[in-house]
Amino acid sequence: MTDLVHVTIDEREVHVPKGTGLVETALAAGVEIPVFCYEPRLGDPVGACRMCLVEIEGNPKLQAACTLTATDGMVVRTARTSGKAADGQNATLEFILVNHPLDCPVCDKGGECPLQDLTFRYGPGNTRMSFEKLTFEKPIPISPTISLDRERCILCYRCTRFSESVSEDGQLVARNRGAMSVITTFEDEPYSGPFTGNVTELCPVGALLPTQYRFEGRPWEIQNVPTVCGMCSVGCNVNATVREGKVKRILSRNHPEVDEGWICDKGRFAFTHLRAEDRIVDPIKRIRLRGFEHVSWDDAVDEAERLLRAARGRVVVALSGSETVEQAYALAKLVRVGLDSHEAMLPEEVSPALDAYRAPLSSIRDADVVVVLGDVPLEQSAPIVDLWVRAARRAGARVDTELDEKAVRNAQRPVLIWSGPGGRGGATIAAHAERLGVKSAFYVPTTPNGRGVADAWAACCDDEPADLESVGLLIVSGDEAANDPNVRALAEKAESVIAISMFHSLVAGWADLVLPGTSYLERDGTYVNLEGRLQRLRRSAIPPAPDELAWISQLASRFDVEVAPHAPVVFAELSERIYGGLSFGEVGERAPLRTYAGAPAHVEAPPLPEPAVKGEGLRLVSYKPLFSGPAVERVEELQFQRPPAEVELARDDAKARGIANGQTVTVSHNGTSVQLRARIAKDMHAGVVRIAREHAGDLRGTVEVSA
Amino acid sequence: MAIDAQPALVLGGAVEEPLRDLASYRAVGGYAQLERARSMTPQQVIEELIASNLRGRGGAFFPTGRKASFIPSPDKVAKPIYITVNADESEPGTFKDREIMLRVPHRLVEGCLIAAHAIQSRFVFIYIRGEYSAEYEILQAAVDQVRAAGLLGEVQMVVHRGAGAYICGEETALLESLEGKRGQPRSKPPFPAIEGLYASPTLINNVETITTIPVVLQVGPEEFAKIGVPPDSTGTRVFCLSGNVVRPGAYERPHGITVRELIYDVGGGITGGRDLKAVMVGGSSFPVMTPDELDTKLDATSLGQKGLFIGSGVITAIDDRACIVQFALRVAQFYMHESCGKCTPCRVGTRWLVQLLRAVENGTATEHDLELLLDVCDRIIGKCLCVLGDSAAMPVASCVTKFSEEFHAHLEHGGCPFGADSSLDRLFAPVDQHAHVTVPA
Amino acid sequence: MSLQAEIQKVAKRYPDSKSAILPALRLAQEEHGWLSPEAIEEVGEALDLTPAYCMSVASFYDMFNLEPAGRHTIEVCTNVCCGLVNAQAVLEAFERELDVVPGETTADGEITLRAVECLGGCATPTIVAVDHRYRQSVKPEDVPSIVREIRNGN
Repeated sequence: MTDLVHVTIDEREVHVPKGTGLVETALAAGVEIPVFCYEPRLGDPVGACRMCLVEIEGNPKLQAACTLTATDGMVVRTARTSGKAADGQNATLEFILVNHPLDCPVCDKGGECPLQDLTFRYGPGNTRMSFEKLTFEKPIPISPTISLDRERCILCYRCTRFSESVSEDGQLVARNRGAMSVITTFEDEPYSGPFTGNVTELCPVGALLPTQYRFEGRPWEIQNVPTVCGMCSVGCNVNATVREGKVKRILSRNHPEVDEGWICDKGRFAFTHLRAEDRIVDPIKRIRLRGFEHVSWDDAVDEAERLLRAARGRVVVALSGSETVEQAYALAKLVRVGLDSHEAMLPEEVSPALDAYRAPLSSIRDADVVVVLGDVPLEQSAPIVDLWVRAARRAGARVDTELDEKAVRNAQRPVLIWSGPGGRGGATIAAHAERLGVKSAFYVPTTPNGRGVADAWAACCDDEPADLESVGLLIVSGDEAANDPNVRALAEKAESVIAISMFHSLVAGWADLVLPGTSYLERDGTYVNLEGRLQRLRRSAIPPAPDELAWISQLASRFDVEVAPHAPVVFAELSERIYGGLSFGEVGERAPLRTYAGAPAHVEAPPLPEPAVKGEGLRLVSYKPLFSGPAVERVEELQFQRPPAEVELARDDAKARGIANGQTVTVSHNGTSVQLRARIAKDMHAGVVRIAREHAGDLRGTVEVSA
Repeated sequence: MAIDAQPALVLGGAVEEPLRDLASYRAVGGYAQLERARSMTPQQVIEELIASNLRGRGGAFFPTGRKASFIPSPDKVAKPIYITVNADESEPGTFKDREIMLRVPHRLVEGCLIAAHAIQSRFVFIYIRGEYSAEYEILQAAVDQVRAAGLLGEVQMVVHRGAGAYICGEETALLESLEGKRGQPRSKPPFPAIEGLYASPTLINNVETITTIPVVLQVGPEEFAKIGVPPDSTGTRVFCLSGNVVRPGAYERPHGITVRELIYDVGGGITGGRDLKAVMVGGSSFPVMTPDELDTKLDATSLGQKGLFIGSGVITAIDDRACIVQFALRVAQFYMHESCGKCTPCRVGTRWLVQLLRAVENGTATEHDLELLLDVCDRIIGKCLCVLGDSAAMPVASCVTKFSEEFHAHLEHGGCPFGADSSLDRLFAPVDQHAHVTVPA
Repeated sequence: MSLQAEIQKVAKRYPDSKSAILPALRLAQEEHGWLSPEAIEEVGEALDLTPAYCMSVASFYDMFNLEPAGRHTIEVCTNVCCGLVNAQAVLEAFERELDVVPGETTADGEITLRAVECLGGCATPTIVAVDHRYRQSVKPEDVPSIVREIRNGN
């Protein structure tokens, strides 16, 4: 039980747990202490901006409230009741505005700017500064996605603290001293990495702004739609800023258990793929071998019906794992109930054994031992999970990439994470957790909703797939499936193919019928993230074509199957089966991690596979980089973030082969070889090499690296 | 320059010739007090320091023994305990620590080892300003000699060189710098005694303070406490006399000598027999003294009654040729140059002060600007993260109030009434030289 | 010994190698003449810090050159104590002798002239630091011989 302390703030009495920050304590008493530099998510307070000056009884000097915590009997006077504190606050605000250009009319931050708001509430009505303000060249692109206006910067150091103590990339720093201090990167290098965009939200003024949003909207012209990111399995809670039906910007929407208000640059900046040049907006029908024509929706649905009828009992659906639960369920109902075809190609394995070890991602931060297995860096597979692990390490946790069983058994709050191939949908990590008595374990799927899609498909009916001699029709659901070589191989064998895709170049030429796909930002529905958390997607932008549910519903009716065109209705039906009857509305804007009535409490994990016999050569881990995939490929300003053509290898392996960091090497396997730059990575295990999939060519299995 | 000590305590044995090698320091009783201290319990050493009422010579004048007593004993914390010696002497007008390191480096080392024994520390870092090259070499040689002689015991001693930043003389900025960061002060609490270097308990003392510790033990705390102006200002100071005086130099004298005595009796008066206009007392960070205050004793209480500070023992005489606006401007330029940039009032305020003072000097200011100048000072004082902002505002405000007529004369004259005759005319300030400050595009 | 090895040796003196950044930057500057991007990168590599971090720290301290500087530096104290006894005349004498303004390097790349804040030699004004060695009580008339001495490599 935490000790409560009694604090008086502006003559209001409040009891808070001992150690509560004074800013929060004041808030509990209904008193606002204005701040700029204070941001508890950035670590210890720094007391730099001096906006939060208050008077503490017994202390002759004004104190920065943000640096203090509540102690029993403390008597605090803020600017509301202390003339001295008010003078201090006025002084700070006047100083902050001395060099600020006050160009609010043309500043993208205007209207949603803490400096503007606090000046409005507390600031001087005029300026006494009659000399030259500090001027700098502006705006400076510190990366293709972020621009910096140094004249607007008030040097609160939020951005540099983020770079140093949250993302730990150490790229965004202050240069010079005193009045000449500026925020910068090293030389001309762009600020890069998975998390850079967060500084645009941390910035309390219009100094760091996303270039994509430059002059794109005023606050009174926009709406923020609370939804969930669909770019990876974390499912960060986001707001999509919409103006005139178009998504203009993605902002974080702090879910303290999932993302703590951080999002990655893919989630933030890749949304412009919605407006890609090769976006498919009309159905496309293949004519002859390689030609195609745009057809009307009526014709398209007729054609789809024809193809489906011809393949009754022999339809296979290749799923992407990016469908909403509702979409997957609707497709399943159409194909399974309507056409008696039960075969699906799921994007990845999903093991229910992990359910017994579910925990919120935020629990990672409180761990004392974190073991991350699987050889694919979390910042590539699930960036926000990487931030939680870094937070745990800063708090003193031991973070291992090899399983030290003794350490795990001795830990108070161990957490196991699997990121990479060989995880068997979570079964492997569940088996380890079971064996070692660990209570929370995570598996990082490669798709944003693989679990939801698999569950929805299974929930539709109980019939088992029959052995198929031939595939009558392959339905390729979504771009990830369309991009999958296995799906493409199956498409070669199928008698006909219907593809649902957003992008022309992915499907043109090999699908008989192409139906326009939509993005997660254009859909209503639900996703299940890697924690097993069911979260709500809200339609932020109107898709350029009817969404999947609309035409699946229409098509289903032709096979006497009832599928509603609205996500809430589909969800209601499905929820009765797998989510304990939860209503669509109850999913919630910040969804809790739920367990559902009727779900088995514990599914035993299948036994661990025999450890592979260590053979000759190096085991290749070819991974899907964060900045890859159909959406990223269509966002020009993200191209600088794409992985360099390099092979990562362990120091010892490099040494044994006489390979230096940065050297060009040949990676070969079975007669195929690729030339790459060698990067000696500290976190790599001996015997393993890592290459981004797009640079791995035909390499697989075991490879050799030579200078 | 002159070196003189009456009595010779801190500079004892080193007034005529520097005492740089171990043998000659031992010949004047060096390291005997270390031996004695080591035969005492740590607590006993701290009690002697408390009884002596030795106070910090770096500027804050905090009781040294009490400071040491704040350090938790090693059995109460799971972390190492550090001593950090502040040899980042950069306060304008101050050169006593340099003189001490040049003349009696071993007394400093001995003081470090006694302090280490008192707080049971095994790690001593001496942070010496980067510009002190010869001083570094002499001090490092002394440490090497002591190490070779086996006197360090279990104590590790590292002489760490700064790289040119006045702010690193602020204790928490010094710790940040020593940890390999930009030397920006930390917000307190936590205080260094609890969370200092590497978040461990840390004792930070100025060079002269530490060097006085063997003296306290040698003369005995009770006798030491009788020197100077008991009970608050005990012992001697190595006063730094400079400016327009006949014999500038480092003079060790007991607390309580008057400014007049130092300037006229010890220093031989003002060069060329000119009139004295003002005195920078304690350093440039404090209000200036006017000639009518010359009989003030140099002890904390007497100075405090006049709103003045003893600081780092600086006495800089300014004769009647100096334009006080130019003086204030040059002081403000120094603090603008040295502001670390962390907190708003100091970073912005010091630049604004420079702009306002330049306007007064150029004759473009108005009556309103003079009021604003005082108001900006007021808005800096007591609002900053560390004392650097106050250090800029206090001297400037004191110039404006104590030399109000001269400031007004600038307004009336439409510029500096001294013209080229001012001794500070056109004095260039590094803040105007941004060759080393580049703003990347 | 290579710069890397030298830095790593210095780093061993400290409980945390990051503490060695000032000595490391000093060594790098001595070797490269200034803290070029390459020099900064070398320091970063040796101490496992990002180049941006090293640059950020270096730019905080006056003694590091983030721009090319002359082989020799002349630093003239122009703070008040030296200023009261005509440091300005000394500085101006150097400006004339070297044909540069404070902060600049001579055309031949030999000498950088700087005005600096108090060097702690207030009783022997004007203090001039030549390659960080103090010359005391420098008068304007001493300037030509000081410059000559530097140019003669003495």
